[in-house]
Amino acid sequence: MEPRAAGATHPLDAVFSPRSVAVCGVTPTPDTVPYDIFHNILTSGFQGTVYPIAPGKRSICAVKAYRYVVDIPDDVDQAVIVFPANVVERALQQCGQKGIKSVIVISAGFREVGPQGVAREERLKAICREYGMAMIGPNCLGVINTDSAVMLNASFARKMPDAGRIAFLSQSGALCTAVLDYAREKAIGFSKFVSFGNKAGVTEIELFDYLHHDPQTDVILLYLEELRDGRGLIEAARRVTRGAGAKPILAIKSGRTPQGADAASSHTGSLAGEDAVCDAVFREAGIIRVTSIEQMFNSAVLLTYEPLPAGDRLAIVTNAGGPGVMATDAAVRMGLSIPRFEPATTARLRDALPAAANVKNPVDVIGDARSDRYNAALEAVLDDPNVDQALVILTPQSMTDIDAIARGICDVHEGAAKPIACSFMGAADVGSGIRLLQDARIPHYILPEWACDAMADVQRVRRWREQPVARPAPIAVDREAVAAILDRAPAGYLNEDQALAVLGVYGLPVPSCRLCASADEAVAFADQIGYPVVLRVVSPEIVHKSEVKGMALDLRSADAVREAYARILRHVGQIAPEARIVGLLVRGMIPQGYEIILGAKRDPSFGPTVMFGLGGIYVELFKDVTFGLAPLDEHTAARMVQQVTAYHLLEGARGGACADLEGISQSLVRVGQLISDFDRIVELDVNPMIAGPAAVGNMVADVRIRLSE
Amino acid sequence: MDKAEVERRVRKVIRHVLGVSDDMILPESHFVFDLGAESTQSVELVAAFEAEFGIEMDDEAALSVDTVGGAVDFIAKYVS
Repeated sequence: MEPRAAGATHPLDAVFSPRSVAVCGVTPTPDTVPYDIFHNILTSGFQGTVYPIAPGKRSICAVKAYRYVVDIPDDVDQAVIVFPANVVERALQQCGQKGIKSVIVISAGFREVGPQGVAREERLKAICREYGMAMIGPNCLGVINTDSAVMLNASFARKMPDAGRIAFLSQSGALCTAVLDYAREKAIGFSKFVSFGNKAGVTEIELFDYLHHDPQTDVILLYLEELRDGRGLIEAARRVTRGAGAKPILAIKSGRTPQGADAASSHTGSLAGEDAVCDAVFREAGIIRVTSIEQMFNSAVLLTYEPLPAGDRLAIVTNAGGPGVMATDAAVRMGLSIPRFEPATTARLRDALPAAANVKNPVDVIGDARSDRYNAALEAVLDDPNVDQALVILTPQSMTDIDAIARGICDVHEGAAKPIACSFMGAADVGSGIRLLQDARIPHYILPEWACDAMADVQRVRRWREQPVARPAPIAVDREAVAAILDRAPAGYLNEDQALAVLGVYGLPVPSCRLCASADEAVAFADQIGYPVVLRVVSPEIVHKSEVKGMALDLRSADAVREAYARILRHVGQIAPEARIVGLLVRGMIPQGYEIILGAKRDPSFGPTVMFGLGGIYVELFKDVTFGLAPLDEHTAARMVQQVTAYHLLEGARGGACADLEGISQSLVRVGQLISDFDRIVELDVNPMIAGPAAVGNMVADVRIRLSE
Repeated sequence: MDKAEVERRVRKVIRHVLGVSDDMILPESHFVFDLGAESTQSVELVAAFEAEFGIEMDDEAALSVDTVGGAVDFIAKYVS
């Protein structure tokens, strides 16, 4: 999306670009939050007007003070509230009466302190709704905008950061100050810096929308502890990360909440903890999930300073063999490729480098290399059509002219159309060279592996943008038939015959089966469909049939069916005497194939989700599963199938038969449609589905569907 | 001591500790929101009330009093 047209406004303009700010609750005591916030606004070069609200004080920092915000004779766009929690409500009420459009509530003592704080926070939300005010916080560090037309530091961060193209959003205020300090050391600047605390008003979703249109922002970083509207977040992120004017989003999501997994009783439920689902659905929204601040900024710098590479092919130029090999290993491990050079490139390198140099990738310019060799090698590899990006590694030998090499790289970088990253390994000796690179906005990493890691994240961004976009197509199914089954069923697990019927209506491949109330009936149905057959006990009290010896396989005659029927009833009666037996399900044997699992779960944050992975007895052992948001489009379903390690097995590794992959994807789409259509379905496990070769197809071997009240 | 005297002396202490003018001090005035008390000044106010009236108050209960009128009522209970 293009930046906003001139004159166009966004609801959050009053948050980031106010013309006037009132700080409510300022005190004259330095080194307190109320004073420091006012002082920061005053000294950060704010281009508007600032008013201290300090009852009983004539002035703060020589600026005329007002008792109440309503006493200010001029219009005020924004209020920063630093009063203690118990009077924030009064201050907010006056802000509304004053016609203020945005408030930043710094004060703590709300949701984070328990039920009393929750109630207090709800009252703030109600006031903001009443007056149409956008609220950041409460319990936050504040907001910074480095735009030279605004220069707002409405926070208690120690210093205003440098201007840059990165926006940082954080639920943790304390992390913000650490990040600002870290960034200053690395000469990283910010466009916007937002601590949104308890996010009682403005959330990361509205902030994504604002930053998508912000002409000062190229990359968005997010630190998130709590997901309240996972689906909203994903939809907003998809709008930001794709299409014209797309911007990458990198996110740390901490605060894993295991209670969802603990409470779950199905395989899907136990595997689909918030974190596992979050991992997968972030990927499907183009959000690059990172695990540390270091990784976040390593990747953000590359995305901000350099163009997006056309592909994953990396050329390495080094003056040290060992680090070159280490970087090569890291690059390959992280999914980058190390291409062969064109003969013309090799010839150029041979001409420019000594005989002992390695002119293949990684290029070793030898330990005594000076800037001329580095320049020649870097220019040659960047000109090679097989190269998409370059990594320059330097170790400081006695003759290494570090600063000259750095300047040379800066010169090459200026005219380069392909991304360049550097790793000057060491600390003290290479320090001035690193600063030269940082000043020229060339991404630098202490370790080449970190550079490769960042390049791998950039590849994720590139691949995401290249992925086809499709909307889930509605599937024609007889929903009334399923509704009729579900409406009659109580909360808990559907009986197997009903669950199979539901799947059948949704077009999943289910075997011919019948619920039989007697051995005679079972034999009659077995005669009808042909032998061998399977018998399975059906009881609302029995979830795991094998635990009560409630099934018999490969029954090849009427006598075998009668004998198994009696045996199952006897065993179940002994092991689970309380179980009400509805009947025994008779169905044909399913030919052997790969055991896979298709699952679905209603996630508290993301809503209906779909799971795919290696099934059968290995599900929880290997946890080789992935997730997607339902309903799924066919491309996403196909990608889910490709994401699990077992995909190599399914596509016929080591001479095995290739499974019906398209059929699996279609079944995933249909499972996603099923859970999206019926809110009462809490969890669904198709485990295993037997995946056979394309000629044979797939078949549901077992299914569990759990319903809510 | 009658309540009017308690109020007169409470106002005197508030003027002294918070440095506010007498016309700002109303029974419904909130120490923080209307009179600009900082957190340390709330503690100073309690100590000054104790000294002014020669009483010893329950600190937690005293600090929960947030208006001038509330303080007058609270102290009146100690001095009556």
